[in-house]
Amino acid sequence: MKTYGIIGKTCLFFGLTVLLSCQGDRDTLQMRYPGYFPEPEYTFGNNVLTSEGFDLGKKLFYDPILSKDSTVSCASCHAQEHAFADHGTALSVGVGGKMGSRNSPAIVNAAWQTSFMWDGGINHIEIMSFAPLTNEVEMAEDMNHIIQKLSRNDLYRSSFQAVFGKPKIESQQVFYALTQYMAMLISDDSKYDRVKQGKSAYNEEESAGYSLFIQKCATCHPEPLFTDYSFRNTGIGSKSNDTGRYKITLDDRDVYKFKVPSLRNVALTYPYMHDGSIRNLRSVLDYYSEGIRESDLLDPSLYKNGRPGIFLTEDEKDKLLSFLNTLTDFTFTTNPLFAE
Amino acid sequence: MKFNLLAIIALFISVLSFTSCTEDDEPKTLAAGEVSIEFDHVFGPNQLPFNLNTEYTHQRLGEKMTFSMFRYYVSNVRLKKTDGSWYTVPESYYIVDLGVNDGTHLHLENIPGGEYTDIEMMFGVDSLRNVSGAQTGALDPAKGMFWSWNSGYIMLKAEGTSPASSDGSFAFHLGGFKGEFAVPTVKAYSLGKLTVDGDREAEIHMVANTGRLWHEADGLAVRSTTHMPGAVAKQMTGTFYDGIVFDHIHN
Ligand code: HEC
Ligand code: HEC
Repeated sequence: MKTYGIIGKTCLFFGLTVLLSCQGDRDTLQMRYPGYFPEPEYTFGNNVLTSEGFDLGKKLFYDPILSKDSTVSCASCHAQEHAFADHGTALSVGVGGKMGSRNSPAIVNAAWQTSFMWDGGINHIEIMSFAPLTNEVEMAEDMNHIIQKLSRNDLYRSSFQAVFGKPKIESQQVFYALTQYMAMLISDDSKYDRVKQGKSAYNEEESAGYSLFIQKCATCHPEPLFTDYSFRNTGIGSKSNDTGRYKITLDDRDVYKFKVPSLRNVALTYPYMHDGSIRNLRSVLDYYSEGIRESDLLDPSLYKNGRPGIFLTEDEKDKLLSFLNTLTDFTFTTNPLFAE
Repeated sequence: MKFNLLAIIALFISVLSFTSCTEDDEPKTLAAGEVSIEFDHVFGPNQLPFNLNTEYTHQRLGEKMTFSMFRYYVSNVRLKKTDGSWYTVPESYYIVDLGVNDGTHLHLENIPGGEYTDIEMMFGVDSLRNVSGAQTGALDPAKGMFWSWNSGYIMLKAEGTSPASSDGSFAFHLGGFKGEFAVPTVKAYSLGKLTVDGDREAEIHMVANTGRLWHEADGLAVRSTTHMPGAVAKQMTGTFYDGIVFDHIHN
């Protein structure tokens, strides 16, 4: 982990995951995460993380000015109380009431992600925002026009100037600022984490659920991030008629594969799957247990004794649900640092 | 800061004294200057002068086509010195754009003075910059040459109208940097002798034949759009890049 030069001035703890130190006239921020997390994929590099940059990114995230008709912001489809997934809707509504074909995923621990979107089409967090900003069914705006609008606004002009020290606003600065905000959305204070840190203990049902999870689910959803970011076919794509990863790689073996989503805060990110087709967690477990159909493209790890699916008794489902609920992190969903 | 200043002064003095001693036996050093590369565009085997908004007939296909846009990336320019070593132009990413004033004219600034025998350039954008996040300059996604849904640069854009196409128009957005369909292509050209010396003109003229996009590819009646990496992008850019030749230098 990179440490930024901390001059022995005022160093404040800010929230749970953010360390603030002072450097020059900008406050340098540092990512903080538990020791059992792997190294993040994104470590900011040229995009120097500062509290002003983070604040600017947050302002942009919540500002509908970025959309074509100033009606939709990133937060319209990514709400903090839902761990930055949409407000319980299967398919999100963008500018002019237009609807896309996929469910808004949570934005959680994005700095660890190796790719973005359900099909992994976006290869870097810094250019993640380019898609929703310009997509017709999301914010439908043009990058040059966004920069014009921001440059006409005195507050934005001076904020950008203060953060990046450049005479003109450029797309890179918009992307950098949004990245500073998104990459700091770190969720690491769920009951699961507290147990991991020895600060709390599972009850009997949660404990049994955890064991079941490790046995039956962790091949694709391994802790501590609860995903391996691989692409797998669990049979949902053939129903929604979305070929998923294939659209990006054009490799026949990738038809109907989707990125394994993290299960952190999963109780809050309903409905589920890339098309939002499963309404609640119980139904997700029913699907894994009884709903998966034979298909030659199905992920091999979903076959047990030649039969497709992960068979679960009703009692096992109850236990798994108890465990999945320990992944909810209210410190994250109520952290004022992330709020508008 | 103070230390840096002292170091610079010391260096300056030593360079001064060094050059004054050797002035008599060394040839005059040439000053850094601009090298420019002008891409002239032609169409078809008869090398008709190519312009946007002008109708051409593609000889092999027998199809009429009128272009409203023609843009492509040129990057990673290197120049070979007479001693065989290469000078790499830093941050050399350019869009050749027939739709803007002076858009076919690349200005490579601050090239060290000297004599150069060869030039190497990449058509397209190297794979590294396709995976390195938000870029600026010619690589700024706001230039409209970056795919948002499948990260990567659109290395060539050709759009226009044609009676051969079923809906009357065509649009080819070609790119891709991975595996067998990777588009970026490095080519080297021998220049003879290009002298860079301060304000002295050093201009390289290249010729690109836009009709060569369809040198082997299906005509517009069969395919009038492509908006993704893959075999079509590889084939069309491949024959086009292949036909970009060195013509002459001015200096
Ligand atoms: C109209 C609703 C909508 C808006 C507005 C919107 N998004 Fe999204 N977002 C989505 C959907 C839907 C997806 C999944 C798309 C896909 O996979 O094809 C997504 C995916 C993402 C992801 C990828 C998450 C993952 O796990 O791969 C991130 C990050 C993200 N959006 C950030 C943003 C930012 C930043 C903005 C504002 C600039 C924004 N979104 C605006 C709906 C929206
Ligand atoms: C073969 C790999 C694999 C295994 C094993 C697996 N999953 Fe998944 N899981 C996925 C993929 C891929 C998706 C996304 C599928 C889609 O949207 O098409 C997913 C989606 C989910 C979702 C929806 C999350 C959301 O935000 O939409 C939940 C909940 C879930 N899995 C829980 C489980 C549980 C519980 C188990 C064990 C019983 C399990 N998974 C086993 C690969 C797997």
